[in-house]
Amino acid sequence: MDCKTANELLPLYFDGELDRASSRELEAHLDACAECRAALIELDALRRALREHAPRQPAPELLRARINKEIAQRQQVSSDAPARSRQPASRWLALAASWVIAFAAGGVLMSSWRTPSNTEQPQVVRDLFASHWRALAANSPYDVVSTDQHTVKPWFAGKIAVAPVVQDFADQGFALAGGRIDYVGNERVPVLVYRHGHHLIDVFILPPADAPATGKPIEAQGYVLDTVMLGGQPAAIVSDMGQAELAHFTQLLNSAR
Amino acid sequence: MNPAIGQGFIDELALRHLDAAYNLGRWLLGNEHEATDAVHDAYLRAVRAAHTYAGGNERAWWLAIVRNCCLARLAVRTKDKRNVTLDGPPAANENWMPRSEADEVENRVDSAQRQSLLKQHLQALPLNFREVLILREIEELSYREIADMLETPIGTVMSRLARGRAMLQQALAGPTTTQAPYGL
Repeated sequence: MDCKTANELLPLYFDGELDRASSRELEAHLDACAECRAALIELDALRRALREHAPRQPAPELLRARINKEIAQRQQVSSDAPARSRQPASRWLALAASWVIAFAAGGVLMSSWRTPSNTEQPQVVRDLFASHWRALAANSPYDVVSTDQHTVKPWFAGKIAVAPVVQDFADQGFALAGGRIDYVGNERVPVLVYRHGHHLIDVFILPPADAPATGKPIEAQGYVLDTVMLGGQPAAIVSDMGQAELAHFTQLLNSAR
Repeated sequence: MNPAIGQGFIDELALRHLDAAYNLGRWLLGNEHEATDAVHDAYLRAVRAAHTYAGGNERAWWLAIVRNCCLARLAVRTKDKRNVTLDGPPAANENWMPRSEADEVENRVDSAQRQSLLKQHLQALPLNFREVLILREIEELSYREIADMLETPIGTVMSRLARGRAMLQQALAGPTTTQAPYGL
């Protein structure tokens, strides 16, 4: 590869948009070319500078309050005319209903939205289920599609602070299918996606502070959430597997390193 | 229509990504009040347009609506004041410092000054380049997601991003400094 080609591919490589074969070729070129390495370092320096010096400005409370007011007003209207919904029943409606309840119970202030009020499950658990269902409803449950752990792990690097332990368990019946980045609360977390028969399994790698209390699996609408330690980090498994399969998979993840 | 989209989905989406929306609005409009109003507009529009969400990254879908509301405001602004161009100098930005003052600090910049320098340079970029930089570097959207948001070919996103990065790097290196202030 010459420098001209390398220069064209460098941003794609840096942004995680370059396919694996080309990445390998580019890396070989980078090993040999200090000038192209310097260009890569400059891209990284710019990104760091932007993230450090032009960070996201949080939305003012005024804006949050205005939107919460809109939500409360509309809820008032829709509860006056409850028969107007023509949407087919789905688990999403139940989920949406749980949000409505959360808002009604939490009042119009965002501060109360974060507190686990009178609903039985903590916010993080509801976030995890919501994320799993959202992924199931979307066109594709993952952003990087690969059955190769050596592709999935580097994909995470650069997108989040700590790349997770990624191991394929295809031989044991749990095949790695890909990964994505999702939100739990305000945190961006890596999600590993596995397939087991027809079951789609999400493994959320959680910041230690956000991890739900470990113990027995939590159920919601036919889906099960269980917690596990994956390479020293707390993780949550969400799927519609049976208990025995879940226990087996938990064991596999526990042994991953 | 995707039957999976309930009203709670839009509410949750908007509140969860309110900071991202507001931040994008600030960078597009360069003004806190207008950004607040634009995001409020965007929420109302998202409620009406919930049926247009067809899966994929819902944050990108929401930010696309925010962006459209901001562009609509910019269009009104240019219509109102024909002498002010869309991508004019960032004189309206409250963070703007006079050029002479900026020159002085470039030799010995502390963190706060660096921050304001970088913000100035970013705000001074033409909107096309500024927005892809925000969407890629701050919001970490993929090329495909940005292309969908901007309704442009993915190649255009790539070239704008490359150009925007180069312009910002050049601006930060500055005409008077011998050393790039952001080197590793």
